[in-house]
Amino acid sequence: MSTTPSAVVDDPEMLAQFTERIRAGDQLEAGEWMPAEYRFEALRLINMHANSEIMGALPEREWIPRAPSLARKMALTAKVQDEVGHGMLLYRVAETLGRTRDDMVAELVAGKARFHNVFHYPAETWADVAIIQVFVDGAAMQTQGALRSCSYAPYSRVLKRICYEEDFHIQLGLDVWRSLAEGTPRQRAMLQDALRRWWTPIMHFFGMPDRVSPHTEKMLAWRIKVKSNEELRQQFLRKFVPIILEYGLEVPDPDLRWVEEEQRYVYTEPDWEELKRVGRNGGPKSAERLALRQRFYQQHAWVREAMSRWLTTQARGAVA
Amino acid sequence: MSSGDRPDGAPSPPDGSGADRARAAGPGPAWERPLGTAPDVWAVFVQGRHRDMHVYAGDVHAPDAEMALVLAKESYTRRDPCVNLWVVRADHIHATTQSASEMFAPATDKSYRFGGSYRQQRRILQSSYKASYREEDQ
Repeated sequence: MSTTPSAVVDDPEMLAQFTERIRAGDQLEAGEWMPAEYRFEALRLINMHANSEIMGALPEREWIPRAPSLARKMALTAKVQDEVGHGMLLYRVAETLGRTRDDMVAELVAGKARFHNVFHYPAETWADVAIIQVFVDGAAMQTQGALRSCSYAPYSRVLKRICYEEDFHIQLGLDVWRSLAEGTPRQRAMLQDALRRWWTPIMHFFGMPDRVSPHTEKMLAWRIKVKSNEELRQQFLRKFVPIILEYGLEVPDPDLRWVEEEQRYVYTEPDWEELKRVGRNGGPKSAERLALRQRFYQQHAWVREAMSRWLTTQARGAVA
Repeated sequence: MSSGDRPDGAPSPPDGSGADRARAAGPGPAWERPLGTAPDVWAVFVQGRHRDMHVYAGDVHAPDAEMALVLAKESYTRRDPCVNLWVVRADHIHATTQSASEMFAPATDKSYRFGGSYRQQRRILQSSYKASYREEDQ
């Protein structure tokens, strides 16, 4: 990134006007003036979201050839296609903030960019697909649903469509979940085991509770962040713990309980060091998934080259 | 993404050339400019049903129109109905600038352009007639 927020000093009057405008609930369109720090943070957020969509397609993709029926295979293919489509929409939004898609994808493939923690873990069984579709997409829906009211209008528009499609993913997941939960003892055991393995990554999903800091306050005031990490985690638990209990499965955290007076769940603090390690591409599947992306990126280099040459030829033709 | 509320480009690369080409009618700030997107960006317009309007749905990257249509089909017509697609190089789109949005603000009361305001006038007229109506006058 050429512009770091500290490198540019914003005009204080413009900055005050901007902050006031966002505070009043207004949204920004691409191309409008924004503080350098706003651009930096919004780009970072949207770029990571885009990376996560295309890396997030990989764990489930592994199950397309092994889906248990044709109907499941078709639905799973559609879901994976949606995720890649979301990546495309989001890279385009990120571009309006000043980076090219080529640049962002190259950085991701080189292992220098970040993507969401949950996509660094293996999808060992078909039950993992149910867990990803219900709980990982369910968790993502909390974050993305809240961000629909963020201050960057192009992002907010794309999120509306993404949430609309995510609803299909969750409903599909619940169907897979239900058929396993109501299935044979082996199927139930497989589902319970997958839930146990995914619990920590899912609790990590929303990040550590935010520190009370001027930075967090600014992100909230500028509506690049809409709800705190802990608020989103609680919102998720309220919606999804009942689904586990409804089917007589066990919540993998024995200390998780609802505290009526505080209107919140208390839970065992997950190992935050693991989240940091995984976030730096040090998860159990990080290297393998990045290597897969790299392999296809190199294999398809000739396609990108052909397209860019064709574009140049077209442009020259237009001038002549 | 929905409806035709197309942003007016972006000031920095790769959508960055727009600002340079912004033009003003005489002195003062520019009121219109091209979107200034990269040459491989195409805006996609989807017609949901026959005789509906085409609605801006989003963008694709493609070297030519044919490829843009193929990608637009994959990206924007996977689920919801579509009978027709348009693609146009986003850089060929001209937009009024955000700062020029004031020029759309009505200079005067424009209620006379709305049917509703005449219905409202009729209601007021009738109620004032009723208010002035007295049995003893009849």
